[in-house]
Amino acid sequence: MFFFSSYISTFLYLLRQVFDEHGQDVTPHPLYNPDPGVLQPKQGKIFPAHDTSWTTVTDFPSVAFQTTNASFTGPFTKERNKAYTELCKNRLGNDKYVERSMQTFNDAPKTKEVQSDSITMVDKAVMSSTWDMYDSFCNKGDASENIVVSAEGKKATVPDSSSMNHLLNPSGPDQNFELILQSDKFKQDLAVMERVVLANIFQPKLAAYRQLPVIEDPDCVQTQIEEESWTEQSKNSLSPFLEHLWVFKCELTKGRNVSSMTWNKKNPDLLAVGYGQLDFKDQKPGLVCCWSLKNPTWPDRIFHCESGVTALDFSACNANQLAVGMYDGTIAIYNVQTTEQTPIIDSSDCANMHACPVWQLRWVDHDTGLAGEDKGEMLISVSGDGRISKWIHYKGLECVDLMKLKSPNMIVNNQRWNPKILSLAPGLCFDFHPNDSKVYLAGTEEGHIHKCSYSYNEQFLETYKAHTGPVYKVTWSPFCPDIFLSCSSDWTIYLWRQDLSKPVLGFTSGQKVVFDIMWSPHCATVFGAVREGKVEIWDLRVSSLDPTIVSVTNPGVNPTALLFTPETDCVLVGDSEGQVTVYKLKNLPALEDVIRTTLSSKHTLGKTDRDA
Amino acid sequence: MAEVEETIKRIQSQKGVQGIIIVNAEGIPIKSTLDNSSTVQYAGNVHQLLLKARGMVRDIDPQNDLTFLRVRSKKNEIMIAPDKDYFLIVIQNPTE
Repeated sequence: MFFFSSYISTFLYLLRQVFDEHGQDVTPHPLYNPDPGVLQPKQGKIFPAHDTSWTTVTDFPSVAFQTTNASFTGPFTKERNKAYTELCKNRLGNDKYVERSMQTFNDAPKTKEVQSDSITMVDKAVMSSTWDMYDSFCNKGDASENIVVSAEGKKATVPDSSSMNHLLNPSGPDQNFELILQSDKFKQDLAVMERVVLANIFQPKLAAYRQLPVIEDPDCVQTQIEEESWTEQSKNSLSPFLEHLWVFKCELTKGRNVSSMTWNKKNPDLLAVGYGQLDFKDQKPGLVCCWSLKNPTWPDRIFHCESGVTALDFSACNANQLAVGMYDGTIAIYNVQTTEQTPIIDSSDCANMHACPVWQLRWVDHDTGLAGEDKGEMLISVSGDGRISKWIHYKGLECVDLMKLKSPNMIVNNQRWNPKILSLAPGLCFDFHPNDSKVYLAGTEEGHIHKCSYSYNEQFLETYKAHTGPVYKVTWSPFCPDIFLSCSSDWTIYLWRQDLSKPVLGFTSGQKVVFDIMWSPHCATVFGAVREGKVEIWDLRVSSLDPTIVSVTNPGVNPTALLFTPETDCVLVGDSEGQVTVYKLKNLPALEDVIRTTLSSKHTLGKTDRDA
Repeated sequence: MAEVEETIKRIQSQKGVQGIIIVNAEGIPIKSTLDNSSTVQYAGNVHQLLLKARGMVRDIDPQNDLTFLRVRSKKNEIMIAPDKDYFLIVIQNPTE
């Protein structure tokens, strides 16, 4: 305290001048004169800027004074020092100063205790995976879903976790079971499961069909018998043969005659097969089955028809529409996407409908050269009443006749048959030219093949007469624009060229009726034919006198329909027992064989060179 | 309903199928063509496997989901079609 007061007094003292004995000015000057123009250095800013009072306190510039000995021993200080020493001397024994002692109270200490409940610590953990977070983020509707489920079960349960549900309702499993079995998802899962199981069973056959290498199951213990039969066949395998892959058959199709088969234009694995008797006797209700390659044991779609099915075709524009022609002349269009038994539309209301069996149906796409309403796809049919008609879907199926298959003038008893009496020959088949969709061929029961034009319905462009029996099939070659093939019940198959009125080649093998023929979509010289009791594959490069492959069917069973597969080298044969067998064409001369033989001969050549 | 029963019968009659089990969401088998002990064993183990498999698929991409699971072993193949309310198990030995 004393020091502070002396500091103040010296500070105050600075204000006046100090002179010593000799009159010299010995006023102590401050050592450091802060330049008024220079900014004072600020102290480290710990305090906030608004608290200016603090900064000003700390911002006192430090001032140091120069004190010389002279000022220190100045009169003022001398006096004070003297007074102090006198005071110290007078202190001992002086009455002014008394010594006293004091005692302070020590308060009694007090202990205080506090007790509380033990704080229970519980460990809680949650596993949160990426999908958990995603689910809770997305599923705001989840709570409402639960409510719906319990409403269906007719119980007023809280939409809690499923375990709670189970406890509240003891008959829960049964009800859930029913619900599960009826759900669509379950049916779908069952269908997929069936296909998976079958894929396991049919895997080697399907691989062969799709031209994939057939790999043996490493865990499989191959039965001895199977191996032997396979090796036997492969021993004779240098000659072409038909390898049996599998059969499409089921309970429903037993005993029915396969009348027609067609592939779906969009899904190459879907096959539609029509079952119906082709002759007048034993007519029974027909059946259309859509088989998928993935399930050879049960068809994917089954449609029951009132009368026997005689013709089928899938539409190319709307790939789910299947046109079915029947023995009683009705034409129906089914939608194969659903399992509904009723067709989308049916021609039974049409006044002009066919009175005789519809022997062939085709969806034809007229894209070139025609104007107006004729553009687009149309359904064209040929029937036993001698008419070729075009069907239009407009408030019901309506038809317009494209051509009436008139019998050419007959000369009877040297008199011309009265041309006013028009007799129509029943038409059995037709085929539109693949490149020019205005020209088509029609085969009749009389054995004539007429070339007609779409836009002219009075007369035929040309007539080809060679067959002596009904022409069952006529088909243009997919590769050569002028060539077509026809088959008939007079045991022959004829190859024609458009401009020649007599056939170029005739094929006969045995005295059996030819039911169906088809050109191979892969090879220009190969075609298949189905006769009573035999399936023949002809390859014209190899021989035009004998079929290259002949496969005899079981006695009593007649093959009635033939279909080549558009993508692979397989052929389907439908027979009179309701079975559709899939065969693979093996060892037909192909490019791979040529390459293989060349390479193997090169290899042997190389060997001999080395030896020599 | 009849259609479903028929399909199950058809699957059961295919070559090499040893059994079909339908299990509900809690892992309790509701329909089976195998004996009780095997059914319970299959149901329990498959349930756990499904949880793991589904978790894995969804972890990698939460918008994805498991649709089918096949376990091929030396002696047979177990095929499982899962759903949120049930799962369908078929055991087949295709080389029988």
